[in-house]
Amino acid sequence: MAKNPVKRYAMVLDSRKCIDCKACIVACKAENDVPLGVFRNRINAEHGGAYPRLRASFDPEQCHHCDNPSCVRVCPTGASFQREDGIVQVREADCIGCKYCMIACPFDARFFNEETKVVDKCTFCSHRVDRGELPACVETCPSKVRTFGDLNDSGSALHALLESRRYRVLKPQTGNGPQLYYLL
Amino acid sequence: MDRRLFLQIVGAGGFAATSIACPKFFGKGRRAAEPPVPLGIPTTCELCPNKCSVLASVRKGRIHKLNPNPENPKSRNMLCARGNAAIQQVYDPDRLKQPLIRAGARGEGKWKPVSWDEAFDFAAKKLAETKAKHGPEGTLWSSTEGFQEVFFKNLGLAFGSPNILRHPSLCLASVNLAYSMTFGTVPSFDLQNAKYVIMAGANRFESIITPDTMDLIGGVMERKAKFVYLDPRFTVTASKADEWYPIKPGTDMAFILAMIHVIIREDRCDKAFLDQWTLGFDRLVEHVLPYTPEFAEAETGIPAREITRIAREFADAGHRAVFYAGRRSSWYQNDFQMRRAQAILNTIVGNWDREGGMVPNRKVAKGEFMFLPWDDPKAGRVDEVEKNFPLASAKDGVYLQTRENVLKGAPYPVKAWMIYKQDPLNAVPDQGKTLKMMEGMDFIGVVDIAMSDTAWYADVVFPESHYLERTDPIEVMPGIWPAAVLRQQVIKPIHDTLPMLDIAQGLARRLGLADYFDYTIDQWIEAEARELPVENGLEYMKKHGVVAFSEPKYGTTRNAAYRFVTKSGKIEIFSERLAEAGHDPLPVYASPAQPPSGKFRMILGRKATITHAALAGLPWLHEQVPENDLWINQDQATRLGIRTGDLVQVTSTAGTVRIKARATEEIRPDCVFMLHGFGKRSPWLKLVHNVGAADAVLLETAWDKVSGNAAMHETFVNVVKV
Amino acid sequence: MHEPVWEFLIVNYLFLGGLSAGIFFVSAFCTWLQVDGVPAYPRIARIGALLAPWPVALGSFLLVFDLGKWWRFWKLFVTFRWESPMSIGSWLLLVFTGITLVNLFAWLTEDERNRLFARIPAKTPWRPRLLALNRDLGAWKRRLAMLGFPFAIGVGIYTGVLLGAVQARPFWNTNLVAQLFLFSALSTGTAVLILARVVQKGPKDVAEFRFLYTLDICLILLEFFIVVPYLIHGELSVLAVREALALVLGGPFTFVFWVLFMGAGLLLPLAIELWEFKPVLLGKGTLHITHRLAMTAAGLVIFGGYVLRYVFVFAGQASGFK
Repeated sequence: MAKNPVKRYAMVLDSRKCIDCKACIVACKAENDVPLGVFRNRINAEHGGAYPRLRASFDPEQCHHCDNPSCVRVCPTGASFQREDGIVQVREADCIGCKYCMIACPFDARFFNEETKVVDKCTFCSHRVDRGELPACVETCPSKVRTFGDLNDSGSALHALLESRRYRVLKPQTGNGPQLYYLL
Repeated sequence: MDRRLFLQIVGAGGFAATSIACPKFFGKGRRAAEPPVPLGIPTTCELCPNKCSVLASVRKGRIHKLNPNPENPKSRNMLCARGNAAIQQVYDPDRLKQPLIRAGARGEGKWKPVSWDEAFDFAAKKLAETKAKHGPEGTLWSSTEGFQEVFFKNLGLAFGSPNILRHPSLCLASVNLAYSMTFGTVPSFDLQNAKYVIMAGANRFESIITPDTMDLIGGVMERKAKFVYLDPRFTVTASKADEWYPIKPGTDMAFILAMIHVIIREDRCDKAFLDQWTLGFDRLVEHVLPYTPEFAEAETGIPAREITRIAREFADAGHRAVFYAGRRSSWYQNDFQMRRAQAILNTIVGNWDREGGMVPNRKVAKGEFMFLPWDDPKAGRVDEVEKNFPLASAKDGVYLQTRENVLKGAPYPVKAWMIYKQDPLNAVPDQGKTLKMMEGMDFIGVVDIAMSDTAWYADVVFPESHYLERTDPIEVMPGIWPAAVLRQQVIKPIHDTLPMLDIAQGLARRLGLADYFDYTIDQWIEAEARELPVENGLEYMKKHGVVAFSEPKYGTTRNAAYRFVTKSGKIEIFSERLAEAGHDPLPVYASPAQPPSGKFRMILGRKATITHAALAGLPWLHEQVPENDLWINQDQATRLGIRTGDLVQVTSTAGTVRIKARATEEIRPDCVFMLHGFGKRSPWLKLVHNVGAADAVLLETAWDKVSGNAAMHETFVNVVKV
Repeated sequence: MHEPVWEFLIVNYLFLGGLSAGIFFVSAFCTWLQVDGVPAYPRIARIGALLAPWPVALGSFLLVFDLGKWWRFWKLFVTFRWESPMSIGSWLLLVFTGITLVNLFAWLTEDERNRLFARIPAKTPWRPRLLALNRDLGAWKRRLAMLGFPFAIGVGIYTGVLLGAVQARPFWNTNLVAQLFLFSALSTGTAVLILARVVQKGPKDVAEFRFLYTLDICLILLEFFIVVPYLIHGELSVLAVREALALVLGGPFTFVFWVLFMGAGLLLPLAIELWEFKPVLLGKGTLHITHRLAMTAAGLVIFGGYVLRYVFVFAGQASGFK
């Protein structure tokens, strides 16, 4: 497969390796000046069972940068948009803060930023990615849960993982085409 | 002492650098081909003892983001939540911004901001007074580890005090001593290549240690290593383990001895290795006879057939099986002997110095700055280590014994206390006793970056510059992936603060000790950099922040000429030196006391965001855990009519706290647990002041018999709904 | 559970927007229905025309006020995004509010117009121009009614489409929400007019009330026959929808939905109105016009309309895919 000149960024997560250490969350806050109390990414923890038969799982989650993002569709001003490389973003100057996109997101990936008074979300650290760096959450992760890369680049580690491993996406029935791939 | 000797031998043996760190290590499975981008100024994290390499990116004079530095293989190209949150220490509005002298009563919170000269004059006068009255031994100099700790310690030594008290006896002294007594050194565990890992309580997935945490999660999830975990609490580590056993607290040694019993009985030991390298195996064979799996079942609560199976699997994995030592405060009074049992178990499967086993640490060579030496102190230590704990490190001292003796005023009075980078009120069990010890002091001086609880009760507070605001000595971190790291200044101090060296110099000048400190940090690191295994060492360090070996080396001690740094020159399963010192030469198990009915054993532990008391109040970490609570088993809670969120009163013989309860399935019914770092007394720690409760208030004074290390799990409490 | 993002301001707005749409619709209907070239129910038409602009104006004000950056609301009107119900809705609202205002003007008597224009201070420079505008638009009433119909229906539907178009919330994700909101809007509009006619001084015309009652009974029944299939359809649907319906069928919104909306807001006023209507139905006389009962019924319908929007806004946001 030839390398497609158009990039399509996505992320593969091996959540079995997630140790719920919150490094991704704090790194994101520092990198993106996210205010206290709100988050661009999170770790969904699930605990179950009764002593001594117990289980717990940790699934990091953030914007899925969907192929068919329902948030972008409902935005009345076009402030929510999708870049050619798939990254879904909010153009701050155009956002009126109606929060419709927050409601339209099946993943609760967006939040209202009380400091900027507009809707805020994960950008896959596009400012870093454009410089050739990794998103802050990917880079900082101690157990390297996340693999970030270009789906159209058949040589990428991301591609290799998706070819060799089984995976799932969350809420496929929404038809959004989420681009966070969780390894099984 | 043993360890140091070993390291010198290693140095002389010529463990020259084979290759220096390169991103190649991380090339596997990741895209590393792109040219390095200048992500920031390389420096070294100080939020915990791991010393990870970071790149600090600065925007308009303000530190914007700390990124992991991939050049340090030990830090595995990561920066945890704590490391990321370090920025908030720098820009904390409640930080210490200039020297303070107490204006009201101790702990009253009235402070007079003063100039550095005033602070130095005041402290020097007090120290000189103490010296005149009680001699230099009337002063105590305690600190926790840090790159500039050396200057603090040297000031105490130059002053003439024998009472230099460092942190190991609150931390890893028992582990270090047990492994040193067995191998003559403290090895690392090659979790990156191990196939079978047993861990007891060390909770590596919440209590992060580089590279162990990363290697273990990779080992378990990617390379399918088997991982067995023992812990009274269902931690994140337990949730990731193949098998988790909520072992009865204090009985780890019974489990280990039964494993040794099975392995010997079934002849699964590495005989050739034992014959060639070890001493006392025959005595061990006899010694473990009574420690059957059935015996261990009765002690630990783990079924005998599981113990037998685990022992078999462990031995079958051979040199790729490790019983991980862990590295944390001791838990019980038999901690040293329990660690010895671990060391012996590891020995009999022959995992010493093998890939996937226990590997003696390598070091990166480093130069030393030569300063004017001082005379040895005339007086002996106040903790009388030589008498009480003859095998323990006299240089580091024993914290709890020191406190006992200072409180007694014997063998001599100690009336001044200098504290660097440490918060004894929270770091040492039994806060009430520590407070009493502080009350007895004529003078207390604290060097810190924030108004800790201890600083709150001090007479003078010296604000130290934050690690991002100063340059520190080069530090060598021994290990399988050894590294030498530089912590260099990223921004100029934003307040009127000074690094520890300048503080030491300021005091030294007034104490007539200036000659011992007539150097600058630049001269110091220049001398250190001279012998680094790279050309233009200092320049290299400033540019890269780290020099490291990226490839592990195995088997260097497995040669006929090698002599272990023990009495016999062999690995000592049986230790004569222990016998001489009056301790069991082979680990003997005694059933630990269990909480009487109606009481619970209080256990401690960590969370990845809060490993140290000072971290709970950083906003980004605090919003993850806004308050600590008391974990209590759901059934017990129901019995006591306690529901999650209820306020409960927890009482031990040391003290009482009030804290919210968390009824959970994730803890044994005979234990309760709380996180460290909350319930602070200092109002300057706004987010955690009077929020939750401090474990140090409840913990009773107990120590490991051999090393003197504080034993943190020996407190029984009762819990009542308020 | 998701934290609600849209709260009472949005509930109010959806309610008020629908209310205006309903009032205008009924008023326009009364204008359009003609007997011998004269509007059939001129009093209803007029009071409706006078009331119609205000709820939607207040609602739009609330909507703008709820924005994170309200001063940027103009951006809604420099873009048109056909995919975004809110974009379409903003334009609909703008046009509809304009029509209601013109329509109101058209229904003013000459006296009223003169009084209105007299309030303009004499010094105002553009006063003469405004005075020149003081034209009688009476002749346009019917055309305005015709023009306004689609926009009124559009606004009524839009408040439902705004929610129904969100795929992420299974509670909303059916086109029945749009119909339900439309009929509820028309019903609350009718109820306001009943109320207005009851409290208005002057003679009470049985024919007017008969018309309004007939209309309201039909609308309530339509609502009822949408709610029932909405529930049945949902229960037969995929798990996510069933889980969403559990919010009203045995969850935090059960009481509000069944007692306050279905009971007090729908079936009770229906029963009252049918009771009032009984003589006509049985062919044994004329409609009762019991002031208290009429006011109660109308009040309950309005209350029900509000509760319906409350339940849908909040329960909808609490629903999601697992």
